[in-house]
Amino acid sequence: MATKTNYKLTKKDFRQMNRRNLFMNQLGWNYEKMQGSGYLFIMLPQLRKLYGDHTPELKQAMRVQDQFFNTNPYLNTMIQGVDLALEEKEGVNSLATVVGLKNGLMGPTAAIGDTIFASLIPAIIGAIAANMAVQGNASGLFIWLAVNLAIMYFRWRQLAFAYKGGITLVTKLQGQMNALTNAATLLGVYVVGALVASLINVNIPFVAHIGKMTINLQDHLDMIMPKLIPGLAVWLIYWMLGRKRMTSTRAIFIVIIVAVVCSALGLLGKAA
Amino acid sequence: MSGQILLWQVILLTIYSMYQIIDDLTFISSLAQPVWAGLITGAIMGNMTQGLIIGGSLQLTVLGVGTFGGASKIDANSGTILATAFSISSGMNAQTAVAAIGVPVASLMIETDVLGRFTNTFFQHRVDKMIEEENYRGFERNYLYGTIPWALSRGIPVFIALQFGGGLVAQIVKVLNTQMVWLSNGLATAGALLPAVGFAILLRYLPVKKHFAYLILGFTLTALLSTVFTNIQSLGTGLASVAKGFTNSFSAMPMVAISLIGFALALNAYKQEVGKLPASHSTAAAPKNDDGDGEINGDED
Repeated sequence: MATKTNYKLTKKDFRQMNRRNLFMNQLGWNYEKMQGSGYLFIMLPQLRKLYGDHTPELKQAMRVQDQFFNTNPYLNTMIQGVDLALEEKEGVNSLATVVGLKNGLMGPTAAIGDTIFASLIPAIIGAIAANMAVQGNASGLFIWLAVNLAIMYFRWRQLAFAYKGGITLVTKLQGQMNALTNAATLLGVYVVGALVASLINVNIPFVAHIGKMTINLQDHLDMIMPKLIPGLAVWLIYWMLGRKRMTSTRAIFIVIIVAVVCSALGLLGKAA
Repeated sequence: MSGQILLWQVILLTIYSMYQIIDDLTFISSLAQPVWAGLITGAIMGNMTQGLIIGGSLQLTVLGVGTFGGASKIDANSGTILATAFSISSGMNAQTAVAAIGVPVASLMIETDVLGRFTNTFFQHRVDKMIEEENYRGFERNYLYGTIPWALSRGIPVFIALQFGGGLVAQIVKVLNTQMVWLSNGLATAGALLPAVGFAILLRYLPVKKHFAYLILGFTLTALLSTVFTNIQSLGTGLASVAKGFTNSFSAMPMVAISLIGFALALNAYKQEVGKLPASHSTAAAPKNDDGDGEINGDED
């Protein structure tokens, strides 16, 4: 059974949804339903066209779409595209499937999206931009802006793509997505290794005086492995973060306290 | 002008602090990132370089910190605004400002973020009511009202701190520069060490065990090259000061070049894995998916 209106979505509908998604998604975010009301807000004009104003069908659809929902804000319209394709074809009869689809897809979508868009890309681009920034160079910031504009274009395109392809495309792409995630995490791990060696500027200022002989500890360490102290610091914090009841905020404060104490004792200093 | 932040600066910074959270929720342009917060605050305060340094340092501290599943994250953006503004207005050292102002502010702002998200529940209830009443305009209006708690969760604390915190910060800077130089040095060291936390958090989210070889590769390659580049630079500076004829200048190690090596390795890995995919991957995709997910999630705890 199709919808009573037999309405078919047009390019204009996608533009409207994309505008709402890009500029107004998550504004209603709250602890009770998280992105739930945002999901409905993005597709409300289209639902009204599909079911017609003040019909029991529209009310039912609105109730369903206002339920708890939370996923990665870069990929959310993928789910909405598939959802609308179903609702357009089956009307309210599809709502049971839609609920399953939303709940089934939001987890994996969040996992892929958070890994790539919320974690890896900001980490890699952010590290490069920050690396330039601490040297007083602002050009990295504009690279970041350009990358995010490109991502916005991708976000704009994916809705129509998901609508057309429906579920089959999502599952077909899974293999490629996994290969992409694997390659992206490989790059991420490599870059973090490089950043550890280039951006943590601490050393050991401690110099031992034994009789007439002076021993500069840092010089000796450099002969074994340059940047050993930054490497060890990251390893220690990594281990610490794996302990129970440890949060990133706590870890940051512990590092500040330890650094101040070690600095006062002359064991740790800021490298030139 | 120690400790003085002019009213127009306070207002502009407050507006930016409200803008940045909305940006980060919706179109995500990167203007809400600490580096940008540093540049923009620096421009408003009249010292962009100082802003870039503070923004860059805080950016590195929170590299791996993201908002997953609606959890509040440490608000390094607001931390950068206050650290940059106070550091420029009171003449505080950039690294000290990161540890003494940036980080405490950033973690305090978690509370106002929670408050904002909580307040929005009120509008959610009104949204639910509008659906029952079939009031479509009302639904959209109440949904958009959610902007208010979000913007105020950043705007109010930033305004109060900038408007009334200046005197206190000036006092602290005076003490740090005189009686408590050891603490000032310690905080600067902490500021230099803080990126280590960012990297460690990031590694917690990445499949470190699987790609451990690449971690070693990236680290060692960069450790060696950065030593070489730094030594050549100091050699050049030294030589230039004794020999007038020596005019060559050497650049710092280019991070983009180092990243490109990693990109080549990643490209190779991608091609290999895609090559292994069966031709009709629609049926074989499901078990492969489970594999990939397990590897990523397995390292998180």
